[in-house]
Amino acid sequence: MKRNSRRSLTMIAATALALTVAACGGGGSAGGGGGEKLTFLSWSGEEIMAPVVADFEAKHPDIDVEVSYAPPVAEYIQALQTRVLSGTAPDVFVIAAENKTNLIEGKHVVDLSGEPWMSAIPEFNKKTYGKDGAVYGASTSTWGAGVAYNKELLAKVGAKTVPATWEEFLDLCRKLKAAGVKPYLEDLSQMPTIVSSFVGAHNAAQDFTMDQKIFSGTTSFEKEWTKPLTEFNKLYAEGLGDANAVGLTSDQVFDEFANGRVAMITSGPWNVAPLKKAAPDMQFAIAPVPAAPGGEPFLAGAASPGYAINAKSDKVNQAKTFIEYLVSQEGVQKFQKLSNDITVTKDYQPVLDPSLKSIVKDVRAGNVYLPMIAWTRSEDVLNVEAVAQIQQMVKGTVTPQEAAAALDRKLASS
Amino acid sequence: MALTATGTTPPAETSTTRAVRTRRPRSSGWRGPSASQLFLVPIVAVFVVLFLIPLAQSVYWSFTDFTGYSVDVNFVGLANYGTILRDPSMLAGLAFTLLFAVGTTLLVTVIAIPLAVLLNKHFAGRNFVRSALFFPAIPSMAVLGLVWSYILSPIASGALNTMLENLLGLGPVPWLSEDSLARMSVILVGVWGAAGWHAVLYLAYLQSIPADLHEVATIDGASALQQFRHITLPMLTPGIIVSQFLLMTGGLKVFDLPYTLTKGGPGFATYTITQSIITSGVGQGRYGLASALAVLFTLAVAVLSIGQLIISRRVERNIL
Repeated sequence: MKRNSRRSLTMIAATALALTVAACGGGGSAGGGGGEKLTFLSWSGEEIMAPVVADFEAKHPDIDVEVSYAPPVAEYIQALQTRVLSGTAPDVFVIAAENKTNLIEGKHVVDLSGEPWMSAIPEFNKKTYGKDGAVYGASTSTWGAGVAYNKELLAKVGAKTVPATWEEFLDLCRKLKAAGVKPYLEDLSQMPTIVSSFVGAHNAAQDFTMDQKIFSGTTSFEKEWTKPLTEFNKLYAEGLGDANAVGLTSDQVFDEFANGRVAMITSGPWNVAPLKKAAPDMQFAIAPVPAAPGGEPFLAGAASPGYAINAKSDKVNQAKTFIEYLVSQEGVQKFQKLSNDITVTKDYQPVLDPSLKSIVKDVRAGNVYLPMIAWTRSEDVLNVEAVAQIQQMVKGTVTPQEAAAALDRKLASS
Repeated sequence: MALTATGTTPPAETSTTRAVRTRRPRSSGWRGPSASQLFLVPIVAVFVVLFLIPLAQSVYWSFTDFTGYSVDVNFVGLANYGTILRDPSMLAGLAFTLLFAVGTTLLVTVIAIPLAVLLNKHFAGRNFVRSALFFPAIPSMAVLGLVWSYILSPIASGALNTMLENLLGLGPVPWLSEDSLARMSVILVGVWGAAGWHAVLYLAYLQSIPADLHEVATIDGASALQQFRHITLPMLTPGIIVSQFLLMTGGLKVFDLPYTLTKGGPGFATYTITQSIITSGVGQGRYGLASALAVLFTLAVAVLSIGQLIISRRVERNIL
């Protein structure tokens, strides 16, 4: 009886395994239905994308766009990756900093460089999502971050705006602190804006070859990043920035600024509308990050994710028609009015909030830098390491040089 | 029975014996399982699909450079395992994960048992108190982490820091921005979230202890502490085993609470193994590496869990 029970159980398990494997095997048929149905996984929310798609469909009644949504960043990347692996990737999707290496090297995206409508996209945006002369993403916006300042709090120490140089900025912070005003706060759970800005300026001074040299081994993070990190760390070494910000979220930093408890934070266009809602009486603006000693002012930022075509799509022509609309003047205008992004296509000048006046020119010119975008491999790995090292640096646990050297070790092991 | 030259002949088969013979259950062999065994099919199917197949796949991917985007992979041998053992962030994740698991297991046990004893007594508002203590177990740990991140905000305007300043004149305490305090905060929030649930678990075991035992002990002159030590605690041993097993396995695979409370910081102070698997592996398209980490972690959890069960059973046998 015992032996028979074991046999029975074995048979049941084998049957169950066979049934489940049979059920899992055999993918569903791709596409389906008649008509020109084009699938699109949108990065932007439905409230922004739905009207844009509706406008496209009105102009192209022969193409029906089936839109699905996944919120950026991690959820979008995960959703797309799962669909690419399972062979159910949409015809059009978004290529971002986090997935561009995998998508490009895995040959999952179509080269758009030969398309005539790509001439509307600036070179900076093309390079961000390109490789070896090919362009895989049509990026129509760029974001840039600067220093948001409370005009009223700055006026207490006689300042009208954020100074143009780092030494003057530190001096302003000292005056604010002496006047009982918290000078500066930022979210340290991600790459600090000021670090990106300083490193970006350093990169620009080397004709934008710094990262290539680091990754090819000609130079190192320790050699190139120690000075920018040392300058940035002066904020915390002198107690002008709050090292406890290591435990804050960006929402908490925003709340401090909106409630008038801090004079300056790092911010970008995404905070303008929420700030106006949270603090309608506050007079504020966003200024460029002050220039590090010996450098030019530079913004932290990057080309926004671009629209890409699935290399395995059987509707490439329709996909190109859709993207052509999205990068056209009408498409960009429609999108920009809903998203308030700083769009950068050559044939449309976006209408933006006056508080962004100081940074628009640099953003549209592509004078922005974000380490994770500039790095050619192991971007996420290095970013996680960099953030952790910077957190330890502002708390005084490691020196700027040690923090930079840790990035070299991480790069070597990844 | 007829006698024959060789002895007795077997009795002639009667209708009764024939009926008994035909009613005797046949050996099932390969001809088919019984009805009760068929009921196992769904759960075995779930086990195979949701555990065995993913485990086998993870072991396979752990020896490859799988990025999650294509099944065309290259075999890399033990390279992923080597990377893990050399990576300080992953080792830091392992250290805090173990600290969290052991810390919450011990603290919850120490708090939940006396709490259960108290909740077992009769007092006004007992049901309300039971509900209030059980409540933290209802929302997800991610929600608790978000709420507590505001309470424990390390700047002066944080909820707890504001209260400490108003009541005691204390300066802002860096609850989430100093390494040791951040670790302690994560563990204590975890204990706060779990203690009520485990107290209710112990309460159920307490209520199964026969009241006669305490009555007899009282008659014999045993104090409350003696009764707790010699009656309640031994009878709670099965409950302790279950509770500690759940706490240890739950603690080892923790992700949502530390991630929403501190995102693994400051630095890697509250970084966990699961966060490492998800962010280093899945988020960065290094599924091969994430799979290797998951395999190592599964082995570690299996060893710890089996060890815990063996020790607990021995203790239970000795006590009971």
